[in-house]
Amino acid sequence: MSNALKAASLALAALLLTFGAASAQPPQFVPRDENPEEFPAGAGRDDTFYACTACHGFKLVAQQGMNRRQWEDSLQWMTEKHGMPPLPDKERKVVLDYLEATFPQKAPAASGGWQNPFAPR
Amino acid sequence: MSGKIERTINELYAQDPERADAEVFGRKTSVDRRGFLGGAGLAAMGAAVGGAIPFAANMPGGLIPAAVAQPAAAPPAPAKKGPTYLSFPGKSDKLVVIGERPLVAETPEHLLDDDTTPTDKFYIRNNGQIPEQAKEPDKWKITIDGEVNNKLELTLGELKAKFKPVTRRMVLECGGNGRSFFSPPARGNQWTNGGAGCAEWTGVRVADVLKAAGVKSSAVFSGHYGADPHLSGDSKKDALSRGVPIKKLLDGNNLIVWAMNGQPLTNIHGSPVRLVIPGWPGSVSSKWFTRIWLRDREHDGQGMGQFSYRVAIKPMVPGDKADPKNFKDLESMPVRSLITSPANGTKLPAGTKEIKLRGAAWAGDLTVRQVDVSTDFGATWSRAKLEKPKNKYDWQRWTATVKLPSDGYYEVWTRGTDSKGAMQPHQAGFWNPQGYGGNAMHRIAVLVA
Repeated sequence: MSNALKAASLALAALLLTFGAASAQPPQFVPRDENPEEFPAGAGRDDTFYACTACHGFKLVAQQGMNRRQWEDSLQWMTEKHGMPPLPDKERKVVLDYLEATFPQKAPAASGGWQNPFAPR
Repeated sequence: MSGKIERTINELYAQDPERADAEVFGRKTSVDRRGFLGGAGLAAMGAAVGGAIPFAANMPGGLIPAAVAQPAAAPPAPAKKGPTYLSFPGKSDKLVVIGERPLVAETPEHLLDDDTTPTDKFYIRNNGQIPEQAKEPDKWKITIDGEVNNKLELTLGELKAKFKPVTRRMVLECGGNGRSFFSPPARGNQWTNGGAGCAEWTGVRVADVLKAAGVKSSAVFSGHYGADPHLSGDSKKDALSRGVPIKKLLDGNNLIVWAMNGQPLTNIHGSPVRLVIPGWPGSVSSKWFTRIWLRDREHDGQGMGQFSYRVAIKPMVPGDKADPKNFKDLESMPVRSLITSPANGTKLPAGTKEIKLRGAAWAGDLTVRQVDVSTDFGATWSRAKLEKPKNKYDWQRWTATVKLPSDGYYEVWTRGTDSKGAMQPHQAGFWNPQGYGGNAMHRIAVLVA
């Protein structure tokens, strides 16, 4: 691009910034509502769902595969780094039991990895 | 592959890959650990993928054949309904949603086929909430403070007026790109290879602005801030605040950016102004950028320290408890090459004898020296034609033509080599709890039948 062209396109960009932004405002993204029934059944599912979704989507949880110690570390990390209120012991056990049983380390992550399009279904 | 097998194939492979080969397919890993012996196993594997596997003898032992590397069908794996596609104003509905709160979406490899990634196809990574669009962009305030002689408070309008704008095509890549290829799974968003894109960024050099502020000799590190609220809504917490050593900060390629691909930044990409600090994890390139704090010590903001954006110094046993003292920041991103055409899953008519490939490769702070492609699981390689980058931190497009000896099921693998000679590995290695540096080779499956 020539300098003149570059300058012109920058000027255009500036114009768009000045006049464009005030009018068409794209609507704010609203995350889809999740509910516990979308996720694997098990003792403690609902408690776990509501404990986690106080801050973030449950999809973030459901794509992990970790052992109990790693789930414990994750709760600890959220408490230390992200201001999560520590769970009372009883609730903590319920949550860890569900996570350990439902999203264990040996299970492949619920998404990602190499997915083969020709795999027999 | 039915009958006496009680565990899922994925579990088997996770526990003992070679034994899994033997149990599932009667496949024995040969002495050179590359192939397998025994016709029955080969036939079984061929039946499972729905076609012959022409280069089966080269398939690495213990590697789950592409066609059966599926999430376990049995409980406790959650119901998998295929990818969720993004629905967001101004963005392609072919991006794959990794999470909605925070909103994270990746670009499938075949959508990275443009020389310059269009804004609608560019990946989305948020750590916090999405702030409201700024009403008066040119009045947006930016602060440069800390270890400087003159604290600067500039509006975006002043920034544009006082410093010389430049446009650079540069890769931006999430630090966790490739995370989902780690085994065992590493914690975080399960990116495949789509946490990357290469756009034209227009802005002013960070170095020019820092010069105006006068960096003191006591400045050793930066802390970057954006206006996105913490996900929990806690106003005392930052969604993210990372930084870089002063040497990296002063690099002339770092920009304070207000336009992407010639248009004002859209809100989801950090409008009205963001940082682009190329080559390093995208998390240092704050969106909704408000401040650089020059520090006299390593930054300790949200997303610094412990295991965040950090890799092990002394390699650790995958899945083990990690010792924070054994960790250092991930700096330059590792080399990565993608096949952007054809798409994974392409069916070609019987009799097809060659495939034309297109792709892109990049290597953090380095350049890409070479890209190779293989249709036989890495037994033999051929060199791709590799373009030069437009400017530093641009990606390098490549093309190649591969010949196929017969019809059947093929995987095409690509391997980048960086300018220091480091190549991509077959598997994501050097496991760490949050899964950084996973740059396993990209592979696609094609069926000629």
